[in-house]
Amino acid sequence: METIDKLEILADAAKYDASCASSGAPKRSSEGRDGIGATNGMGICHSYTPDGRCVSLLKILLTNFCAYDCQYCVNRRSSNVPRARFSVQEVVKLTVDFYLRNYIDGLFLSSGIIRSADYTMEQLVAVARELREVHQFRGYIHLKTIPDADAALIEAAGRYADRLSVNIELPTQNSIEQLAPEKSVHTIKLAMGNIRLKLDEKEAEPKAPVFAPAGQSTQMIVGADASDDQRILSTAETLYGSYKLKRVYYSAFSPIPQSPKSVPLAPPPLLREHRLYQADFLLRGYGFQVKELLPASGNLALDIDPKLAWALANREHFPMDLNRAELAMIARVPGIGLRNAKRIVELRRMRQVRYADLSRLRCSMKKIAPFIITADYSPARDTTPSETLRRAMADAPEQMPLWPELQAA
Amino acid sequence: MLLLVRSFDEWRAAARQLIVRRAPPESVQWTGQEEGGDLLSGAMPELPPQASQQPDVAPRVPRQLMEMLQSAACYRDPGRWAFLYRVLWRWHHGEQEILSMADEDGGRLQHMVKAVHHEVHDMHAYLRFRERPESAGAPRYVAWFEPAHDVLHEVALHFAKRMGRNSWLIATPEASVLWDGSTLHSTGPLMRSAADIDDPGEAMWLTYYRSIFNPARLNADIMHSHIRSRFWKNLPEAAVVPQMVSQAAAGARKVGQLDTVGKRKGATIPIAPEDAQPERQQPSTLDECRRCDLWQNATQAVGGQGARRAKVMLVGEQPGDQEDLAGKPFVGPAGELLDRAMDQAGMDRRKVYITNAVKHFKWEPRGKRRLHKTPGQREVMACHYWLETELEAIGPDVLVALGSTALKSIMQSGSVALKDHFGKPFQHEGRWVVATYHPSYALRVPSSEARAEALAAIVEALRTAKRLSEGGPPEDPMAA
Repeated sequence: METIDKLEILADAAKYDASCASSGAPKRSSEGRDGIGATNGMGICHSYTPDGRCVSLLKILLTNFCAYDCQYCVNRRSSNVPRARFSVQEVVKLTVDFYLRNYIDGLFLSSGIIRSADYTMEQLVAVARELREVHQFRGYIHLKTIPDADAALIEAAGRYADRLSVNIELPTQNSIEQLAPEKSVHTIKLAMGNIRLKLDEKEAEPKAPVFAPAGQSTQMIVGADASDDQRILSTAETLYGSYKLKRVYYSAFSPIPQSPKSVPLAPPPLLREHRLYQADFLLRGYGFQVKELLPASGNLALDIDPKLAWALANREHFPMDLNRAELAMIARVPGIGLRNAKRIVELRRMRQVRYADLSRLRCSMKKIAPFIITADYSPARDTTPSETLRRAMADAPEQMPLWPELQAA
Repeated sequence: MLLLVRSFDEWRAAARQLIVRRAPPESVQWTGQEEGGDLLSGAMPELPPQASQQPDVAPRVPRQLMEMLQSAACYRDPGRWAFLYRVLWRWHHGEQEILSMADEDGGRLQHMVKAVHHEVHDMHAYLRFRERPESAGAPRYVAWFEPAHDVLHEVALHFAKRMGRNSWLIATPEASVLWDGSTLHSTGPLMRSAADIDDPGEAMWLTYYRSIFNPARLNADIMHSHIRSRFWKNLPEAAVVPQMVSQAAAGARKVGQLDTVGKRKGATIPIAPEDAQPERQQPSTLDECRRCDLWQNATQAVGGQGARRAKVMLVGEQPGDQEDLAGKPFVGPAGELLDRAMDQAGMDRRKVYITNAVKHFKWEPRGKRRLHKTPGQREVMACHYWLETELEAIGPDVLVALGSTALKSIMQSGSVALKDHFGKPFQHEGRWVVATYHPSYALRVPSSEARAEALAAIVEALRTAKRLSEGGPPEDPMAA
């Protein structure tokens, strides 16, 4: 099989993994040196595909042969899909060729489990080693870690890769047992813990050899099992706290060809994935806790964003005086982001914040008006019921399909 | 007064002198183009005389503002030099709000800076090199790009870092840069349109681009909102987008798989489920403990460690953050303190058995950290089963209860108080029990005297335990 045919199969097989970021690597440069590649810590999206997701890395599987039978996965052993396997050389050449044409920032490499966890991990590490040592490639490398692989192999992976990730895939032990019979939450957590210990060691000992400088991440599939958003976000919160993950990626389940009966036939609304990312960002950047966003079990609202939902449920904090409130609280006002919250605090060191300042900062005035007090604006203690506000601010309702049975076909 | 400037450095030199000479912005006209006539090239024209009674004040510009001015200078707008001078003038006269977006000029400045940064970013992202055959010589890689602002030079520095010793050329309608592998050369325009070079390598990219797209998630609007329309015509992938969108809209949305992949012959992997199971250590019964809910948020159960027939058993509260990851008791900061205390008490860690009353880490999220949470009596009682198992297996003569949770577990009572037994050895179910602080208490108390006192108390308790295990009296005969 030609490389191009393998590429078609193995890129297609890899696209269900949501992770694509290429940020967080230390600065590297090849100026006037042998080899190629640079990183500046930011990461660049080099293109977008018509699904709206960015292309920043060459994201492929080393092989889609897989001994495991994870029900949500198109590459499960019982799936009747075309199979292919790249050689180490092929992946290396593709990465370098794509990099030189400025299509990508680096490589994201994953693999089906073949022969054994250790053998598979060795192959992944071999690609990264070849890129770094033979081609002196200084671009970004993200390796998917096989949780059952030997700790020494994970350590080797961390020497070559900028980021490692171990996918938890599903938010509960029960779901993993049912849908991914060969996986084990226990080993997944141990692998994540192991990576975190190595990251901690490196942090405490700056002269220690490099270990995954862009940290670790994971992915959770949304909508393949019955878990609600509260379950998903609580699991994310647990993982962030326990393993210092840089990111948890949420991937709305995509129906797969010849789908097994154990997984749904229809995808969850993509908006649900979007709301989870918004909520996740509130956890990481704004100091929210899951129990604030979702006090009881259930899903995030689809018609309004989670920060607005929180504000409507916690009206006692509002209207908030922007000339007095703390930075962290200002950032909790719907329509004011972290950056604008900082700008407001900077501005008020010079003078009082006025209503017109906010529109110059491009805040959504419709959204923030009921929640703020400024030097020249003070809504009389707003008594509009939250439900009315919500209706005014919700996204336009979507037209229900007139002939759903036709559209589903 | 009319001034010609062609670069940021020229503007800066001129602006500096004008500020010193107190030339208000209204009095200066700036131009960026030589258009014949009586324009004065670069030189300072009839500047107003210096107000001699006041000393010169050169503008002191913070780096942040200087960087913003430098970026804004790349913004293609005929009025840019005059605007930059007005900004500098206002700053120099104490108007600090020029830095705020809420100020009108400040807002415009930030808008210019942002647009320039955006253009730099887009050029980093959407510039595409085409490879020329090796026989054609340098440059090996050629790109065509149409930037909206004067960002070519900055962008060239980015690609010099990225491409190493490979030679390349970036052509734009206004200018070109060539990298020969070690040096940048700038020239005027060299090409008039997209590089007319056939690069067979592009087929790989188009295949990748088509394959990584998930038709089940079709959402072309987001794609278009990210890549501004003027870039599309020079992106090789633009040619295949319409077909991808229409195919996806026509039904491929049902499954994520690419049509051409779906048509290929497939294969299931013939392997029996039991052979697919990876080899793993059998989980111990402790690993599978579900006596309470703490297992859910912990990494693993942490059992005790130490000598099989130890005479002394130290019982702590529960594993902490580090213990949870490592799977061993007392390896974190509290463990280090305990080691120190054992050293001082002349106790050999290898000869004792160390464990916790509760085997799973109980915690609460606090940002990205885990905040230790004291286990409740229900959890302590649920976990007592495991402590009991360890007591039977090891059979120690002396127990050291490190902290109140340990004491409650040993006594199996939630009402027992540490202060009632503190430092006073007593017998319980045929064993000596010595109760003292938990080592993390000695880490936590605010004053250094209190910390030293707490450590001394722990050392004393360990000494007592050691003496008791050797058959000595409960009270230290040397103490009197």
